Amino acid sequence: MRGAEKKRSGDLMTVQWLNKRRLALAALYLGLAVILAWWRPYVLVEGVQRSCLYAMIALPMALILGVLGIINLAHGEFMMLGAYLAYWFNVRAGLDPLLAALPLLLVFFILGLATYVSTIKHVLAAEELIQLLLTFGLGLVISQMVNLIWTSQPRKVQLDYVSASAAVGGFSFGTFEFIYVGAAVLVLIGLLLFMKYTRTGQAATAVGQNPRGAALVGIDVDRTYLMVFSISVALVGAMGALFMTRHSIFPAVGGSFTLKSFCLVAMAGMGNLSGILWCSLILGLAENLVLSIRGYSGWADIIFFALIGLVIIIRSRQRQST
Amino acid sequence: MNKAVKSLILLAVLVLLAALPFYAGAYPLSLANTIMIFMVLALSWDMLLRSGQLSFGIAGFFGVGGYAAVLSQVFGGINPLLTILLAALTAGLMALILGLVVLQLRGLYFAIVTLALAEIFRVIVTNIPDLTGGHEGTILKSAIFAGHTYKTYWLVLAIAVGGIVASEVFQRSRLYFALTSIRNDELVAKSSGINVFKYLVIAFSITAAIQGLVGGAYAQIYGFVSPEGSFSVNFTLLPLAMAVFGGMSRTWGPVVGAVLLGLASEILKLYIPYGHLIVYGVIIVAAILFLPEGVVGLISKHVLRRS
Amino acid sequence: MKKGAFITILAAVLALVLWSVGPAAAAEPIKLGAVLPLGDITGDQASKAMKLAVKEINQAGGLLGRPVELIVVDDEMKPEKGAAALEKLATVDKADVFIGGMASGVHMGQIPILKKYQKVTVWIGAASSKCEEALEGADWYFHLHPWDYQQGASYLEGWTAINQKYPQIKMDKWFMAYEEGAFGTASFKGQQALFKDYVTEGESFKSAAVGGGDYRPLLRHAKEAKPDVFIWVGYGADALPIMEQAKEIGFAPPIFLGSPPGWPPDFGKSPLAEGVYAYGMWAPSIKEVSPVSKHFWDAYLKEFNEEPVTYFCALGYINVMFLAEGIKKAGTLDAAALVKALEQTEYVSPVGETLKIAPSKVIKHQGFTKQKILQWQKGAQQVIWPFEFATAEPMYPFPAWDKR
Repeated sequence: MRGAEKKRSGDLMTVQWLNKRRLALAALYLGLAVILAWWRPYVLVEGVQRSCLYAMIALPMALILGVLGIINLAHGEFMMLGAYLAYWFNVRAGLDPLLAALPLLLVFFILGLATYVSTIKHVLAAEELIQLLLTFGLGLVISQMVNLIWTSQPRKVQLDYVSASAAVGGFSFGTFEFIYVGAAVLVLIGLLLFMKYTRTGQAATAVGQNPRGAALVGIDVDRTYLMVFSISVALVGAMGALFMTRHSIFPAVGGSFTLKSFCLVAMAGMGNLSGILWCSLILGLAENLVLSIRGYSGWADIIFFALIGLVIIIRSRQRQST
Repeated sequence: MNKAVKSLILLAVLVLLAALPFYAGAYPLSLANTIMIFMVLALSWDMLLRSGQLSFGIAGFFGVGGYAAVLSQVFGGINPLLTILLAALTAGLMALILGLVVLQLRGLYFAIVTLALAEIFRVIVTNIPDLTGGHEGTILKSAIFAGHTYKTYWLVLAIAVGGIVASEVFQRSRLYFALTSIRNDELVAKSSGINVFKYLVIAFSITAAIQGLVGGAYAQIYGFVSPEGSFSVNFTLLPLAMAVFGGMSRTWGPVVGAVLLGLASEILKLYIPYGHLIVYGVIIVAAILFLPEGVVGLISKHVLRRS
Repeated sequence: MKKGAFITILAAVLALVLWSVGPAAAAEPIKLGAVLPLGDITGDQASKAMKLAVKEINQAGGLLGRPVELIVVDDEMKPEKGAAALEKLATVDKADVFIGGMASGVHMGQIPILKKYQKVTVWIGAASSKCEEALEGADWYFHLHPWDYQQGASYLEGWTAINQKYPQIKMDKWFMAYEEGAFGTASFKGQQALFKDYVTEGESFKSAAVGGGDYRPLLRHAKEAKPDVFIWVGYGADALPIMEQAKEIGFAPPIFLGSPPGWPPDFGKSPLAEGVYAYGMWAPSIKEVSPVSKHFWDAYLKEFNEEPVTYFCALGYINVMFLAEGIKKAGTLDAAALVKALEQTEYVSPVGETLKIAPSKVIKHQGFTKQKILQWQKGAQQVIWPFEFATAEPMYPFPAWDKR
């Protein structure tokens, strides 16, 4: 994707409009939350937890896709690989997955560096299709490598603390998954600070908006891409460790997350990091709402995709009409 | 090589292939079937690619075709061969309707939406169990031709030949020239009066119909459809890899890719029961980085010394 | 140059032809082609038990003077892989007989392939009667596992007997959580049909064995329904997560009953397992009352250094042994003779009952017809019913989560 074409149109007017819109949205969310808390509290609790799971996985994609325009269809596979590595550390060395997230950050940062230098770098200038195909192939290599080593049998670790629960009145709910909420917020704040206050972050914004212009003012474009891509991979790999504490993992588990992350990024709008959190909330809550209706749990998957499809189509219409 | 010699060679190959059942056992025949099925899928994918649109939705229309074929036989008692045609029609129609909406998008957005298509079809099919058998799927009383190996092979061969012919015809058609100019520069194409949207929808529908046809044939041959099996992402992945490896934007690329990768995959499957698909991933990545024109492109450039 | 190349090619082709014709095998092995889900505990232990049985047979001199060879292919719990496995066994490995099986859903995809080759098939899996309907007229097919309606009938018989002996155990209202595939849906339909005098509600879930594993919405609905009996029908991968999540939302019905074909090996060790009822054809305690069962247990433990934990382990052993008896009786591998011999074969099996063949609703050759009711007590599975095999009294009600 060429940076110049992604620039949000009409910046000044959009900013004012967004503020009003944001207030209205905030009020809406609050209202919904109150209604749910009274009617089906577990939808609220589990919905928020699930939303943040999606958000923490989608944020790294928002970083490279939304800001820099790099397409990475292997996103979910990196997450899955992180989950498997955490599983391996746990089985071999008894290392707790939550603790494993830290060394995994480093491991995946290096992996990201290697991936960028050997593959991504060479196709940045090519057609979008080529980037799509390349990262698609990468994802396949990763998932099949995992399949080779660990087979397709789903695996799960048994951890006592994941079934920790609390009770409010007669309503009992799991408390462990609030870790996802913490992670999502942490990652979001971290990324926002990164974008605003670090040299690389600022360079990323510049490069994302206009790569040629950024090069002209002396920014090392290639290095920026390298750093940001590696950070993205590092984050999503570490998130895998958090993911596998509560979910059984198998080689294909990452695929749906790539899709959902992409949809969230498209929904929030390119470059909009905090929007990811809000969009995830809508989707997580909607999903859990459908799940809570007896007999319709099978449709929860499709609600997500249909909603996303709608949003993408509306957005592309918007884009075409400007 | 002039045209006459070329045609003669092709004819000889065709005769040899048609006679294969008489000198090869059941295993080579079923291998050939698999290769040809993926070959046609790869061709159909490539045909859409020539218009500049990357689709990840092969599995979706493949599965729709499969279900259309099986359900029309189970509930409508329709003749097995006819159900395959019906499968093509259903998939094509579905693509037509969806295309009217989805083809407003381009590039990345279009690709991702097609990726979601297979998922959406799968979920829908799973949730109407009275019609589709839900998760357990539906089976046919017997496979087409009662599983007769020769006839099944000839059916698949016919479809493969049809696919190759379709690709070649497409290559020379007005539709193709319109789509190529769209791919090169949509704005210019538009301003020279080409109805971009119309041509994309037509291409999308035709390639989806082909995928539905293959899906219907496959379902008839195995006598079984299920959400997981019929919409498996393998049906998107493998044809894609074959076309990329063999050479995109040309007929013989997907053909060569299907034969080479199909054979390689079979050999690997015997030694590496899990994860043999890794080769496909490596090949896609390697092909894009080092072999952008594919195997056929490489041969054309160096061996045959074409300009 | 050209001549040399031509001669080399000719020689190579000749060598290939001679090699493919093969040396005249003195004792060509009898090939048993097995398809099992090697990634699940059931398939894993069943394949090991089959290997044990084959080893014992070969040590005793083989069958019909020939060694027996076992070829196992993984179906990965997927119907298309199961079908491909059969194709491979038939065409590449040239298996003489098909054995194995576990999941109903997988078997559905395999049936058209079985019909294509029509080899003698002795199957230990698939409970769904949808499979049985599809196999009408398949007289080369032997089915050892009880069908869903047979299982349901045995459960009804069992619970009724338990209720009569222990009147404090109530079972008027049932809630069934069933995996959304063939196995689960068939079980639910069977339950609804047979337990007509009781109230049965149900809801489906995606099994962890195929990538699911979030049971909370379902468990909440179950909690709201306040059943006397909560039963879940799924696979081994679901066992512990369901207990964890039930604990998480505070759901402890009086009877917590699990019906996977196999439990994870360390399920008993978890404090969450205490008091959980189970359906199964076999429990370790049967070795106390059956010498064949004891032999099987000791031999398996010795060979693989692990205990059998699922009735599929015993079924794997039974699969091969029963087939071997039939082959010996027939004196040939000829399909028609083998079918006739198997029809008359009786085998005293490690699950306690003697295996005999009789027609079921649709097919001619059905083996076992009943399951047993078991309960996890202090980390081990005890038989509660049939009372003739019982090794413990039922524990009732299900102990509360905080009292473990």
